[in-house]
Amino acid sequence: MPKIVLDHVTKRFDKFVAVDDLSLVIEDRDFITLLGPSGCGKTTTLRMIAGLETPTEGRITIGDTVVFDSSSGVDISPAKRNIGFLFQNYALWPHMTVYDNIAFGLENLKWSSSDIDKRVREMLQMLKIEQFEKRYPSELSGGQQQRVAIARTLAPSPKVLFMDEPLSNLDAKLRLEMRSELKRLHVDTDSTFVYVTHDQMEAMALATKICLMEKGKLQQYAPPLEVYDYPANLFVADFVGNPTMNFLPVDAKRVSGNTYSFSMLGKDLLFKGNCAIEEDSFKAVVGIRPEFIKLGEGQFSGVVYTTLPSGMETTVKIKCGDDMVTAVVFGSVDYSHSLDMNFSVSGNGILLFSKESGKMLSTGTIEMMS
Amino acid sequence: MSGSNKKSHLLNNIRSAASKPANVITVLFFVILLFTVCFPLLSLLRDAFTVHFGEIRDIGKPVGAFTFYHWQTLLFDNLYDYSVLTFWKPLVNSVLMAIVSCIVAVGFGGAVAWFITRSDIPGKKFLSTIFVFPYIMPSWSIAMFWENFFKNTQIVACYNQMGMLESFTGICVPEWVLYGFFPCAMCLGIHYAPFAYLLIGGILRNMDANLEEAATVLKASRFKILRRITLPIVTPALISTILLVFSSSLSSYTVPAFLNKNGSFSTISTTMRSLFNTAAMQGQGFVVAIVLLVFSIIILSINNKMTGKRKSFTTISGKSGQVSLVKLGKARMPITIVIMVISVFFAIVPLVSFALESLLEVPGDYSTLSLYYWTTTDTLENRVFGSSQGILRNPTIWKALGNSLLVSFMVALISGTAGILIGYASARKRGSRLARWVSNMAFFPYLIPAMSFGAVYLSVSYLPAFSFLHGTVFLLIIVGGIKFLPFASKSGANAMMQVSGEIEEAAFIIGVPWWKRMAKILFPIQKASFISGYLLPFISCMRELSLFVLLAAPGSIITVVLQDFEVNGLTQISNGINFLIIMIVLLVQFITNKLTGASIDKGIGG
Repeated sequence: MPKIVLDHVTKRFDKFVAVDDLSLVIEDRDFITLLGPSGCGKTTTLRMIAGLETPTEGRITIGDTVVFDSSSGVDISPAKRNIGFLFQNYALWPHMTVYDNIAFGLENLKWSSSDIDKRVREMLQMLKIEQFEKRYPSELSGGQQQRVAIARTLAPSPKVLFMDEPLSNLDAKLRLEMRSELKRLHVDTDSTFVYVTHDQMEAMALATKICLMEKGKLQQYAPPLEVYDYPANLFVADFVGNPTMNFLPVDAKRVSGNTYSFSMLGKDLLFKGNCAIEEDSFKAVVGIRPEFIKLGEGQFSGVVYTTLPSGMETTVKIKCGDDMVTAVVFGSVDYSHSLDMNFSVSGNGILLFSKESGKMLSTGTIEMMS
Repeated sequence: MSGSNKKSHLLNNIRSAASKPANVITVLFFVILLFTVCFPLLSLLRDAFTVHFGEIRDIGKPVGAFTFYHWQTLLFDNLYDYSVLTFWKPLVNSVLMAIVSCIVAVGFGGAVAWFITRSDIPGKKFLSTIFVFPYIMPSWSIAMFWENFFKNTQIVACYNQMGMLESFTGICVPEWVLYGFFPCAMCLGIHYAPFAYLLIGGILRNMDANLEEAATVLKASRFKILRRITLPIVTPALISTILLVFSSSLSSYTVPAFLNKNGSFSTISTTMRSLFNTAAMQGQGFVVAIVLLVFSIIILSINNKMTGKRKSFTTISGKSGQVSLVKLGKARMPITIVIMVISVFFAIVPLVSFALESLLEVPGDYSTLSLYYWTTTDTLENRVFGSSQGILRNPTIWKALGNSLLVSFMVALISGTAGILIGYASARKRGSRLARWVSNMAFFPYLIPAMSFGAVYLSVSYLPAFSFLHGTVFLLIIVGGIKFLPFASKSGANAMMQVSGEIEEAAFIIGVPWWKRMAKILFPIQKASFISGYLLPFISCMRELSLFVLLAAPGSIITVVLQDFEVNGLTQISNGINFLIIMIVLLVQFITNKLTGASIDKGIGG
């Protein structure tokens, strides 16, 4: 069963470094999402594993086979890596019918025509596109084309499936639908999925593990909830979560043990950390998820700036001195703007970052200094 | 790392690079083009500075010795005004001719383009179809038609034959209307007007109508919109057209060759031809070829400089379907009639005139219609090479026609296929330096005037190692294959760029071999463009004379035979042959278009 190992992989285009010294282990039957802003190197990484792009340096192993090694010059053709690849714009062959699109790859593996027919019918049925068999891609809607592309990719039963933003061309409703089908497909096909997306919601919902990249560098590689609750650094904390985390710069001083004092939002506070921190006094950033801010009562006070109801939940922005704080309230509320508002910060999930390095130092709680 | 390790590493890298067809194609064509484009150019340069066999007596040095004699004589020899008469005056003539033909082409073609895309002129489809006719016909067709129309019994140089105008109205035009500067410039202008129409019309058609509508909303007048919005946006195409027409006219050989029977008007190309025909002056011929080449390269680099950055103006948004057309009002009918008459006169009437002229036993006397010049077995003229019997009975003509078809077919095969492969490699290896070199080298023959390109290969065929090529059909195939490569590789590259790389990768991943990806995926998707890449070289080659005139043996290809009959006054036969060529070209184009949807106007204007 294939396990994919990337060992110090680097890709340079002239002087531009697309992927910088990336090491990664993808376990068998994982559903990995490569997540990051556009241009972060995630698609390049995927294409390098698939063999469509040649790394400048490093070593890639799929299962027991070294498929690429810059030091010994091994570079196995994608055709021999036993993989499937789902392209962003589907890349369906416009001059072939749906049936031919799915069958073409199998013909190429020298399957007998009865086997091919059986497999194609199976795929058509599995993806519920039997009625389109004789149509050409241009006669199908986006969602139907997507299904054909998936059927074509799955037909030869690849052990590893690579997907490059496969849902980004679909409308919002269809995207949600296909998301759940892909997750189901992962279970049904029993294979390893590697999935590129810039949509953090999609990554959270689908993946068993998220690989977050920025500027070609790996930022964090962990299960979705861990990435959400314990972001490795400011970039990850900022990128994941919607609405985004509140960041408040402070000057932190050690009081005792893991307890630090600073003033924030006009109040003097204590931060009780869960982990040991080295520095006694440093410039820090406090990160608070919007859901940890409770409106109505509390020590902090501000003025409502805007209210953005979306039905199930409402995002409220509150101006507090020179700072702006975002909170999320469950249900629909509509505060009139300029309303005075008190709020509290609760929970054990408050984050403390070093401003200098951007690293997350500890989770903890915030209390008023007595 | 040990030595053997390093070696196997290198071997592995080479093997890995060689497994990618785009790499192999790039390297292969780099080598081929080095030999077929760069090496001949060096040979041309060498020939302009060395002594040739016929020049030994004049120069007093052995064959192959280095000399400045050719340059000195041609450019600065004042004895009997030699250099003025053989070089400077023809050069000035050519430049003036090119300027006037530019004005005619851009003025006429541009105006028609504007009327067709931006006004409510009726019959647009018909007009746009027939308007490109003169460009599909051989380049001398308009010249030949001009002669058919204006020749008269008062002019000795046309053997006192009666033309259409005299026959119908009795009017005899003076000689300067028939031969010399004026008709040459006019005919070139009319020949290139469709080219201007296609370039400018393309821009106007693709221009986002919102740009003009935005100005309308801001209450700008029609005229102001044309002056401040439309013209500036079309400017790059306009400059491009002017420069390309200028450079083509400057080096045009066929038109001045056909309309200079009284010998009063020599251009740089006709001079080059006669220098090459004189054994003691070949070196000077090579000098002229280099001068022409330098001219073209300068003009085209100006073109690239001026249009390169500004091309971004030509925004294609796809939403420009809703153009509000200019209402011509009262002027509609008169304008329509003028444009229609002119277009039909130069598109349809020439065809009729070629057919008719070939059927007149006595030129201009329409009571003498007969098939004599098509069917006679009499020998009509001793000065022409080979047989001079009637067209249908003439073995020389049929053999030459067969050769022309063979050459054109082979040229189409070579340049079309090479074009697809180069297009593929440059699309897949975008950004690679070697691939850029290859596509630039493949485009380079476009910069070289046809006759200079002929001269380049003439000089190669003089080399002892390549003398077996001299005067052979094989040489013509090579020359044509290279000269028409730019069109084919441009259309190949465009076609490949339109297909996203993923379409091919989707097949690559499931292990489809390269040739099968080409044959089963890429070719079927871009069938029309690829076939255009074959069609255009075929048609261009079938009607090409300037490129082959220095290289082809007498009687070898049909255009050379045609010229032979024309200059020896057997105009019935030359007209008949021209009619045949045009019919073949139109027929091939029509059949291909019906079968595959490929069409020549997709490739024209490149």
